[in-house]
Amino acid sequence: MKRTRNRSILLLILTVTFFIGLIYFAVNLIIHQEEWASKPMNQYVSGSGGLDRAGTIYDRNGIVVASSSNGTRNYSNNVNIRKAILHTVGDSTNNIATSVQVFYRKQLIGFNALTGYSNNSHDITLTLDSEVCRKVYESMENVKGTTIVYNYKTGEIVCLVSTPSYDPENIPSDLLTNAKYDGAYINRAISSTYAPGSIFKIVTAAAAIDTIPNVMDRTFTCNGSKLINGELITCMLEHGEIDMKTAMAKSCNIAFAELAVEVGKDIMTETANKMGINTKYYINDIPTKSGNYNVSNADDNALAWSGIGQYTDLVNPISMLIICGAIANNGTPVKPYIISEISDGNILTNDKTKTEYYNQMISPSTNSVIADMLDYTMLSHYGKDMFEGMDICAKTGTAEVGGGKQPNAWMVGYSKDEDFPYAFVVVVEEGGYGISSAGPIAVTAMKALLP
Amino acid sequence: MSFIFNFADISVRIILPILAVIIVYEGYVSIRHRRREKRPLIMLADVDSNNIYPVYYWENSIGRRKSSDIQIKDMTVSREHAVLFRREKAWFISDTGSKSGVYLNGKLVRGSVPVYVNAVLSIGSKNLMLKRVSDCINDISSDSSAEKNKKAVHPFLLMLTVSLFLLFLTIDASLSDNINKKDIFIIFGIFVGISWLFYIISTFVFKRATFELESIALMLTGVGIIIIAGTNTRQAYVQLIAGSIGIICYCCLIKFMEKTDVVAKYRFSISILAILLLAINLIFGDVKNGAQNWIEIGSISVQPSEFVKIAFIFVGTSTLNQLQKSKNLTGFILFSLICIGALCLMGDFGTACIFYVTFLLISFMRSGSITAFILGIAAAVIGVIVILNFKPYIATRFEAWGHVWEYAQTSGYQQANVLTYSASGGLFGVGIGNGELRYIFAATSDLAFGVMCEELGVVLAIIIVCAIAGLALYTRGSILRSRSTFYSISACTAAGLLLFQAALNIFGATDILPLTGVTLPFISQGGSSIISVWGLLSFMKASDERTYGVKRK
Repeated sequence: MKRTRNRSILLLILTVTFFIGLIYFAVNLIIHQEEWASKPMNQYVSGSGGLDRAGTIYDRNGIVVASSSNGTRNYSNNVNIRKAILHTVGDSTNNIATSVQVFYRKQLIGFNALTGYSNNSHDITLTLDSEVCRKVYESMENVKGTTIVYNYKTGEIVCLVSTPSYDPENIPSDLLTNAKYDGAYINRAISSTYAPGSIFKIVTAAAAIDTIPNVMDRTFTCNGSKLINGELITCMLEHGEIDMKTAMAKSCNIAFAELAVEVGKDIMTETANKMGINTKYYINDIPTKSGNYNVSNADDNALAWSGIGQYTDLVNPISMLIICGAIANNGTPVKPYIISEISDGNILTNDKTKTEYYNQMISPSTNSVIADMLDYTMLSHYGKDMFEGMDICAKTGTAEVGGGKQPNAWMVGYSKDEDFPYAFVVVVEEGGYGISSAGPIAVTAMKALLP
Repeated sequence: MSFIFNFADISVRIILPILAVIIVYEGYVSIRHRRREKRPLIMLADVDSNNIYPVYYWENSIGRRKSSDIQIKDMTVSREHAVLFRREKAWFISDTGSKSGVYLNGKLVRGSVPVYVNAVLSIGSKNLMLKRVSDCINDISSDSSAEKNKKAVHPFLLMLTVSLFLLFLTIDASLSDNINKKDIFIIFGIFVGISWLFYIISTFVFKRATFELESIALMLTGVGIIIIAGTNTRQAYVQLIAGSIGIICYCCLIKFMEKTDVVAKYRFSISILAILLLAINLIFGDVKNGAQNWIEIGSISVQPSEFVKIAFIFVGTSTLNQLQKSKNLTGFILFSLICIGALCLMGDFGTACIFYVTFLLISFMRSGSITAFILGIAAAVIGVIVILNFKPYIATRFEAWGHVWEYAQTSGYQQANVLTYSASGGLFGVGIGNGELRYIFAATSDLAFGVMCEELGVVLAIIIVCAIAGLALYTRGSILRSRSTFYSISACTAAGLLLFQAALNIFGATDILPLTGVTLPFISQGGSSIISVWGLLSFMKASDERTYGVKRK
């Protein structure tokens, strides 16, 4: 008996081995839990999986823009609100990769290590004003482009519209074939970059003011074109004798081309980097596409073009918005965000976004000169009554894209009024002149925000 | 409202693991309880000197070998001389091939001969007299303080906790929108009814003092039935009926094993029956999922290999006196070869693997040879390589091993699903019936562990698996005081078999081992499987000396 008993040690060894295996599994599970749970095959998160029991998404005024009931996902009652905020909220097919419903699926369904995907859905409150978005959407329904407005004091993005859009409740069958819907899945504010054209003169100006003493007192001569390094830089008009402030207001290419060359590659690159042209930003956790300012292989002519937002320059609309926010905020921008709160109904565990700042982009002295120039641009060139009842500083851009296409139109700017602290960016693809196509949309957006 | 609902849901799922821990803990504490203290049953006194050999076990080897239960250091005694064993009526002595023979009161012993008190056994040059313990030691209790008896929970309370646990599990299931509330409570009611009937019969008819092993097995069976009910009510009833048949088999087998001599008489018939079953399976079997291990009888499909597991253990084990007499394993090896060969022909490699491990366990328990054990494992590795040459579809399973995400849509499909959904359940699960894994093929049988992780939560799933593994620890504890090596070896093997099967199921499904397709004992859907598991449990119960020894008053 003793012998048999001693041999049963084998059973003990087997049991111990079994427990080691079990511990190995448990440790692995704990380490990889999030990763495994997010695998695309997982029905909780893939396809429309889980959305039918996901939490509610509210706009800033508590208006429900997406919610689930009886196993279906419902969006706003208003078709234009649905289209206006589609790219922020997302649809039920998860084709909009940067949307909240894709990016925050786990939170909406309520995944956490403790309770997994059990009925623990979280609600998300956006900083968007769905009514403002609707009005802006209606003004740009027939163009492709984007409009973003954010509060440069708090960081809340109150308006973000990207077109073309579609109705998530009634997805058009020709979405992928009709040219009208080209890139409808893309949130142009976050995932696109465009040639900036004249709005890039803000960056060139900052570089010049920083480095060239008394540059504001200098006079430039514009004859409509100029040879730099053997090739022409052209201007829209012959501006004649012109100072820098007027050059900004009249958007004179020659002045800023000369400045870019004078400042040189290094300083231009440094300034562009400092102002976040090449930065990948995160809106909450949603990454933006970084722009491109790279003159390492540029000759003087190319450098000159780069200073007026052509050459290979590309700018992401969000990064432009942040530059506007910086100028409005004495050179230091507030971080924009689009989700103000993720809540599971428990006050203790609510996740609220706080106002945060980026590093200083523009020195306060340079910044006040630029702010003054943008103010003057609005005043002298577009007229302050364009934005009725507001005090706006702005700059337009008309960026040549080549290929026989109409230029992309930009308008960027901000309200000087600290009680109405909004900065905006409007881009219209192939819109032609910035002021004529992007301008009215900017007006609509800012007007909609007026109390 | 939904918040309150969620709260109820979550709290039920936190109570469940707590109850499970209590059941498993109390169950195993009770197992240690009410054991006979370590004191001699009888004494052997050397007539010529004052040497006294205490006899502790029901079966004792006598010999010169150090590992003998009664070691007699004398060159005239053979290394394994004789076996002194106790049966219901008396003590017996059996010569196990000694050189000089055994004499009882001067007469040469042939076969097994009863030995009465004060009889003198002559072993080699030694003359030993069988004496009552009380004749040798005055104060018995002085020797018995070693074993501490922790106060154990009453079997009734343990059963009550198990019922409560299953009730909470049913409530959790009823909260799911996917489950018919009426059906689930009916199934719960029937199962708890059967459990209590079993308890009453065991306690008042058989007058058994203990019910812990059964309580834990009932808990596990109940978990399985309730999980199955989440997908298919009909299958849950099938499982319920099979579970009841399993319990009946369990009772019968314990009765059958009460007298080891009776078992020995039937051993040959059992082996023939097992081979016949496998032969019928091979000839008339149906192929399901790549393995021909099913027989259809009317509307019932049976997996004969499950029942052969029980036969296999019967054939492989023996009492000590028989073990010492014939060390020859040839018959058993032949039988094992037939069984494993038949399973390989059927394509049921998972079960073949289990049989092979069982075979190794039995041969080790009988021979104690580590070398043979290691050789056996080496042979298995070679065997696997051979199998891979003949059945390439198994090799495709190996290619996914450790890389399930790359093969998530093909050969690693089941494992990848198990992992992703196990992670989705969190610590406390999404609730019975709310899971997604159960819609994957064979989820409630092959992937039962994954379903538990997802729906009950990792914590409870691991506790439940620990309860299964705990059966092995229980067995290890009871082996020492078994009344016969027959019980020790069979229990040890049965426990090893269940443990290995559980390991194959759990680690195969979670990509730690490269094999799927076996059931998780007690939990997995499968009528033949649940009957067989209860049958195997009877070996563990029989090895506990309290089963036959202690009677309720």
